[in-house]
Amino acid sequence: MDGEERKEAVPLEKTVNVRVRRYDPATDTDSRYDTFEVPVVHGMSVLDALDFIYEHLDGTLSYYDHAACNQGICKRCLIQINGETGLMCQTRVEGDVTLDPLPRFDVVKDLVTARGGETRG
Amino acid sequence: MRTRQTDVLIVGGGGAGFRAAIGAREGNASAVLASKGPLARSGASPMAGADLTCHGQGMRQAGFFGEPRDSEEKFFNDIVHQGCFLNDQHLVETYVRDGPERLLETLAWGCKPRFSDERAIFTSGTGIMDAHLREAKRLGVELLEDVAVLEITKHDGVVNGALALDIHTGELIVINCKAVVMATGGWHKAYTPVTGSKELTGDGVAMGFRAGAEVGNMEFVTFACNIPLWPPVWRGSIITYVMGIMCGGTLENADRERFLEKYDPETVSIASHTEWNKSFFSNVAAQEIRAGKGSPHGGVYYVAGDTPWEAFEARVLSSYPDWKFKGADFSDMAELFRSGEGVEVAGAAEYFEGGLCVDKHFATNVPGLYAAGECAISLFGANRVAAATMEMLVTGAIAGRAAAGFAAKQSSFASNTDHLRALIKKVEAPLGRNAGSSPGRVRAKLQRESHEKLGPVRNAEEIQDLLKFVKDTQESVLPNLAPRSKTRAYNKEWIEILELENLLKVIELSAVAAEARTESRGVHYREEFPSTDNDQWLVEIVLHEKDGATKLAKRPVSVTSLVPPSGSIPYFDMVKRMMLAHSDVGGHH
Ligand SMILES: Cc1cc2nc3c(=O)[nH]c(=O)nc-3n(C[C@H](O)[C@H](O)[C@H](O)COP(=O)(O)OP(=O)(O)OC[C@H]3O[C@@H](n4cnc5c(N)ncnc54)[C@H](O)[C@@H]3O)c2cc1C
Ligand code: FES
Repeated sequence: MDGEERKEAVPLEKTVNVRVRRYDPATDTDSRYDTFEVPVVHGMSVLDALDFIYEHLDGTLSYYDHAACNQGICKRCLIQINGETGLMCQTRVEGDVTLDPLPRFDVVKDLVTARGGETRG
Repeated sequence: MRTRQTDVLIVGGGGAGFRAAIGAREGNASAVLASKGPLARSGASPMAGADLTCHGQGMRQAGFFGEPRDSEEKFFNDIVHQGCFLNDQHLVETYVRDGPERLLETLAWGCKPRFSDERAIFTSGTGIMDAHLREAKRLGVELLEDVAVLEITKHDGVVNGALALDIHTGELIVINCKAVVMATGGWHKAYTPVTGSKELTGDGVAMGFRAGAEVGNMEFVTFACNIPLWPPVWRGSIITYVMGIMCGGTLENADRERFLEKYDPETVSIASHTEWNKSFFSNVAAQEIRAGKGSPHGGVYYVAGDTPWEAFEARVLSSYPDWKFKGADFSDMAELFRSGEGVEVAGAAEYFEGGLCVDKHFATNVPGLYAAGECAISLFGANRVAAATMEMLVTGAIAGRAAAGFAAKQSSFASNTDHLRALIKKVEAPLGRNAGSSPGRVRAKLQRESHEKLGPVRNAEEIQDLLKFVKDTQESVLPNLAPRSKTRAYNKEWIEILELENLLKVIELSAVAAEARTESRGVHYREEFPSTDNDQWLVEIVLHEKDGATKLAKRPVSVTSLVPPSGSIPYFDMVKRMMLAHSDVGGHH
């Protein structure tokens, strides 16, 4: 199944290192970086790269995409990309990249920060 | 575990959900709205173009130009023809009647129109949503964000609550209520590519079905046409769809043939200038792709065509300054048009006509369960041209008000601990299992299968293949899926496992209905049956669950004033006939 699915994935143009800040408040005392080798093509977004990691390399990774619009509209996919705030769905991967959660928010897990949750009218 | 109590629970934070919550408060009920995604920034609603359609008289009442010759009767006539007579005509009458009021209040609550035509104002999905969010807050609706309702509970056959998951914390929430309005939108995530957001997984339809509700018209799925496939960052954007209407252009296959020339020019012309574009262009593009004339990423090429590049670019820039569209930058698309290469595009799942069957109060057959917006059966029948963004407001308002009325008649909050305990066990079970296949990859496989076998053009063999895949996955894969992480907070694999049950169910229901409907009508096209059969098939396919099995029934469409045609008519002749039956009113609808 693995082999078949990889064949159907995007044609490989090059491999980049995606460094992702990991932190699970339930089990970790400190955060760390995990580095994944990801095959990328021209015009692939950070969100596409994370989807590849999640589906093929590490299913425990968390990033806000359960309700991702993928079109720059919901603005919920904001993280730090190479130290700058950017949308995962609209920022293209052009080489090695480092991903951190938004600063100044509590980390829910990995790249997900506590921005939603419960509000009242 | 937290607990909440409210008269009416609204499930969904798009336009239908917000309008239903406002309706419930107008009916003096307390209201909790749970949204799986961000409030007013999730579902299809904020992503919509967006148009709000209303007949010309209503437009004039609201202070817009509006077509003076237009009337409720004419708009009704046009919607029923566009729906190829599969509409519930009672619901169409409601849509036509209530549109003006919904338009006026949306403007009064602060939504700004950008421009208008004979039958619609054009604004943005986010503008519509912000207006409704403000009003819902003003009326004191309690709002839960990133909270997914997982199942509804019943007591003595009547809806009495729901179990929900706070996605951020992983905590379960028990909600006691007297009525539920489902407003969960479509099931875009069963497909790839799609134009809608990722949390749209048919939850409301599947939950309702499991609770005993009837679902209908599940075979009808609208694919937005001309949606970019490549590069990946453009996938699913509606930019080229909108360009098709605003800027012109044409389609070429991999042999660089302009294949629209094979079709009746009048049909192509009407499709190019109106929202008939979705069904027509997605269908003919799929025919080329299936005939082996597809581009490398499985589409066709959208090119500027005979329009000189300068003129084309000027039109694009007047709509999208600097090639920016909504939150995205498409500046490197320009070169593809200038060079004549074109953008690889295809139909992408966008709007789901099927859903929970409702009566004129938007009540389902399960007491206390209401449905609105895209997760209810569509009043547009077999094909949608007029605005779904107006549909969500019209249906939401009625469903919310009716749910409040129902809740007022229920004396107390009933509890149902046994059912709830069993549900909690089921929801938490995956966390206790040892990891198996990747839920993300199982979902990705389902998306490819649905795209290939339940797209704009279908045949029995492919539908049966898809059904076999769905059944195998339901029986042997789903029960063994387990998230690799056991942390409850934002556990993507856990969420996907819970969603997969619903995705598989709605695709199963859609495939069963698509196989049963041995004709072509609206957005449902069967290769082996390329005619619209008005003698056999002016019926809705209605599905419900009995003793664990899916039962299929056929129900004649409900007619008020417009008598359906008879006889079997070749599909594209029927399309043209429906197009030409349009009344003497201009505009895009
Ligand atoms: C990209 C795009 C563009 C469109 N453009 C137009 C247009 O220009 N004009 C037009 O008329 N129509 C358009 N449509 C269609 C139209 O936008 C939709 O039909 C309409 O917005 C549906 O509204 P809704 O409230 O029923 O569902 P949605 O807006 O899809 O909202 C569904 C809500 O339910 C929530 N939800 C889902 N599952 C659960 C659960 N289990 N628990 C809690 N909450 C849940 C979601 O998070 C979301 O908040 C477009 C659709 C798309 C995808
Ligand atoms: S996913 Fe919505 S803005 Fe990126």
